[in-house]
Amino acid sequence: MNNTENKIYLSPETVKLYEEISKKKEIRIEELLEVTKLNRGKLEYYLSFLVSEKLVERNDIINKKLKLTKTGLDAAKNGLIERRIIKILKEKSSVSFPELSKLIQSDKKEMNAGIGLLKKQNILEIENGQISLIDENIDFNLDLQSVLEDLKTKQIDDAGINTDVIVKRNLGVLEDKKETILKTIVDYSKTKDRIEKTIEASRLTPEMIRDGSWKTIRLKEYNLKVSPPNYFVGRKQPYAQFLDDVKRKLVALGFQEMRGPIVELEFWNFDALFQAQDHPAREWSDVYRVSNPQKGSLPQEEYVELVQKVHENGYDTGSKGWRYKWDSKKSARMVLRAQGTSVSARTLVDLPVPSKYFSISRCYRPDTVDATHLSEFNQVEGIVADSSITFRDLLGILDTFAKDIAGAKEFAFKPDYYPFTEPSVELSTVDPNLGRIEFGGAGIFRPEVTRPFGIEVPVIAWGLGIDRLFMVKHEITDIRELFSYKLDWLREEKMV
Amino acid sequence: MVTIKASYNNMKELIGEDITVSELDELLSFAKSEINNYVEEEDMLEIDVKTSNRPDLWCPEGMVREIKGILEKEKGIPSLSIKPSGYKVKVDPKLTSSRPYIACAVAKNLHLSDYVIKQFMQLSEKIDHSYGRRRKKASIGLYNLSMIKSPIDYKVIEKTHCFIPLGNDKEMSLEEIIEHHEKGLEYGYIVREYGHYPILLSSDGVTLSLPPIINSNTVGRITEETKECLIEVTGTNFETVNVELNILCQTLADRGAEIFSVEIIYPQEIHKENVITPALTKQEIIVDLEIINKYLGTEITTSTAIKILEKRRFEGKSLDTSKINVIIPPYRLDILHWVDIAEELVIGLGYNKIGATKWQVLTTGGLSQETEDENKVRNILVGAGAVEILTNTLTDLAILTDKVNLDDDSFVKIENPVSVSYSVIRNQIYPNLISVLSRNTHESYPQTIFEVGEVVKIDKETPCTQTNLAYLYADAEASFEDAHKLLHRLMSLLKVEYSIETKEHSSFISGRCGIILVEGNKCGVIGEIHPNVLEKNLIWVPVVGLELELYLLPSLSCKRKFTF
Repeated sequence: MNNTENKIYLSPETVKLYEEISKKKEIRIEELLEVTKLNRGKLEYYLSFLVSEKLVERNDIINKKLKLTKTGLDAAKNGLIERRIIKILKEKSSVSFPELSKLIQSDKKEMNAGIGLLKKQNILEIENGQISLIDENIDFNLDLQSVLEDLKTKQIDDAGINTDVIVKRNLGVLEDKKETILKTIVDYSKTKDRIEKTIEASRLTPEMIRDGSWKTIRLKEYNLKVSPPNYFVGRKQPYAQFLDDVKRKLVALGFQEMRGPIVELEFWNFDALFQAQDHPAREWSDVYRVSNPQKGSLPQEEYVELVQKVHENGYDTGSKGWRYKWDSKKSARMVLRAQGTSVSARTLVDLPVPSKYFSISRCYRPDTVDATHLSEFNQVEGIVADSSITFRDLLGILDTFAKDIAGAKEFAFKPDYYPFTEPSVELSTVDPNLGRIEFGGAGIFRPEVTRPFGIEVPVIAWGLGIDRLFMVKHEITDIRELFSYKLDWLREEKMV
Repeated sequence: MVTIKASYNNMKELIGEDITVSELDELLSFAKSEINNYVEEEDMLEIDVKTSNRPDLWCPEGMVREIKGILEKEKGIPSLSIKPSGYKVKVDPKLTSSRPYIACAVAKNLHLSDYVIKQFMQLSEKIDHSYGRRRKKASIGLYNLSMIKSPIDYKVIEKTHCFIPLGNDKEMSLEEIIEHHEKGLEYGYIVREYGHYPILLSSDGVTLSLPPIINSNTVGRITEETKECLIEVTGTNFETVNVELNILCQTLADRGAEIFSVEIIYPQEIHKENVITPALTKQEIIVDLEIINKYLGTEITTSTAIKILEKRRFEGKSLDTSKINVIIPPYRLDILHWVDIAEELVIGLGYNKIGATKWQVLTTGGLSQETEDENKVRNILVGAGAVEILTNTLTDLAILTDKVNLDDDSFVKIENPVSVSYSVIRNQIYPNLISVLSRNTHESYPQTIFEVGEVVKIDKETPCTQTNLAYLYADAEASFEDAHKLLHRLMSLLKVEYSIETKEHSSFISGRCGIILVEGNKCGVIGEIHPNVLEKNLIWVPVVGLELELYLLPSLSCKRKFTF
């Protein structure tokens, strides 16, 4: 057996206590207090180590203790009332009630009870108001008298067969008495060699660890119920974390991330997406225009030329086009990205097939900022391109988004409108509490969008509204909180 | 999106069926519309029409037209018989350069209730605003026919010409209308660009209107008593004015009116021949069902396709086993390509009925290398105990300049801001983070915050989007070392060799700040924030921090994205 494992570490005071208990094998705690001269608190503290080391067993017993009442104490001192009556009658042979009352110096009720008892026992008789003993040599209740005297003077807790009578006659009452008895489990002599005396410390120091003194030191116990001080950890912003989660899910579904610039040419934001140059969405009320610089340079001429043709006459797509004079100057205007689809439009250049892309991009609209509107927000957008893909496949992709990203059990499709897709569809999910929520929109890019970039296969474009999802989860009603400045929220908002 | 108001009971009446609000909502989805709100006490529906290129749907009559097709109460293109009215409009060749096109019709046997008038006005306003591009491309006018004598003149007139505009009691000259009338202030710019004033005059010299601004108070007023009216659309696009007139005529016909045509006499400069309007010529498009079925993933037969087309208010003739000649109703201009017909067919089949299919082609997903690298930086900062912040990229000029002691204004500015709080795009992040600290002085210190986010810089007059890191540490005991040790560990974890060169920077304390150099490039700044900045932002503890342009760290692949 490993020797160190067997060692018992106890403070010197605890060892002393152990020795005392061990001497007696079994001892009441009161007795131990007297012997050791310790106060109760300290004794209990040292004792707890002995108990936890299983050296001493502690038994708490509840006993009944007979305690004399005032009448009982009186009877022990001056004699029981019946014995005092007998004593007087032995001296006077016959007395009247008033005489007896005077001699006995007791209250009338008690005296009458004594007379009643003696009469019942056929010890005295009453004739013409005169009381006398029947047998002048009588002695009565000598046992009871001596028990009472013992109770008063000696440390005894019960009166054996007399207990009932004493209680009944209100000479004494039975009280609960808690008693702690300590029993030695393992004798001190047997563990003596294994005991290491320790001292107490409030904190563990590097020195204690290094020099091994920790082995003889007992660290004071703490109150673990006390609240700790405030503590904050480094963490990701809750909404950014949520966007990371969405990205992870999309990556798991096989989507590759794309990124694009914040300041965008109208060309990529609108023209490449077949939005006519007089389309209302291009008005100053719907898109932020940049004042420095106002214009940029357009991409490769071949794309610009074909986009122009598609707008003016549909190019070779079979479309009628928008039938107006396209203006390259309007197309070169700088705006803040108004829709994430512009990132998809840029990806159409040299698009690999098959391919699946997504982007989470900051977009901007000239809205007055309030609880339901932001002037900048994030759009989740993407494309899927393959020669085999169909509109029903697009519904299948939305089906996956509804289940895997929104976690929706119920959802539905509705016809929708986007200038750059045909057919277009809206995806709405059904929330058990909030009802129908618009969750996404999608469609197949019009040939007028894909053809100028030399793409011959169908390209699905899709977008998801995930802000609402985040707000529902985090019980946010004010959309401005997505970009919260509140440090308490940023520090303390739940992660799950 | 266009939002219109309509009576629920009247819509039920038009449909001819007692349907609940939710049943109606379901049917409206076929007209790309949905009920946004229903006020029962006022019997008023608020309907959002999602399509911006179907002005024919921006009235209950138009939506009901679609619903009746879906319910198969009516099929194919609605019939509209037209007789000549005898009215003529002469167009002035001077209008060639300004607003040359006009389309007119006469409607008789009108039964105009207050509700119908309001509906018609709502439709005209919505079309003017959106489809007519705020009246610039096209605008609608309605007149009491009994006060008009043919031929009508659509011509250019001098600015001193006077008439009483709608809602006024006194005559105003055209010039005064443009300068002072409420509608003149709103739409006057359109006429100002023309350099002359277009006018519509009855042959007896009575003014109908100053298009596209305001009608006459007498001739141009429609009431419940009006039994016959003249409808007119002027504009810059021939197709647009004609399709708008077709929509208006169809809508009035749906309410029981009889429609009569008007002859438009064009000068050669504008249009080669005279036109009878409404010109209800039906456009046609030939589609190949085989191609459409491949596109949709469906197996629609020609006979089914023709049936669906009729439900969608088109008509179709089978040309061979696969090709169909589709005839388009004259109130629609949105069919550009066979994909538009493909959508009509799949809407007719029902999006929720055709069944979703699983496209099974395998692709590899992944984050962009850039995002991966940004995440590395974010993780280091989180590990350092910093709390991530997400702030607006569109921000306040003062936050980027005065609040951080800077007067450099080389950032992207917005031409049309809604509010000064959102009027410039940030070119660095730490000013936003100072603003965050400024709003959290009641929270416990130390406050350790960071943001990894996009900013826009202007490089040789071209804006470029790039990702920066900003880090701030605010505490009573904060000192340069707190920022320095973080930078040092960050750079070492990212395997970047760097140096700091002491340099003055007005946001920071002199001698306690410097620029961060990597391979000779200045890629950031580090230091103790100047007490003057702290005072301006009501921050009462020392703050230290740094800003780093991640694209300049050679071991990361954070690229700048130029706008071209």
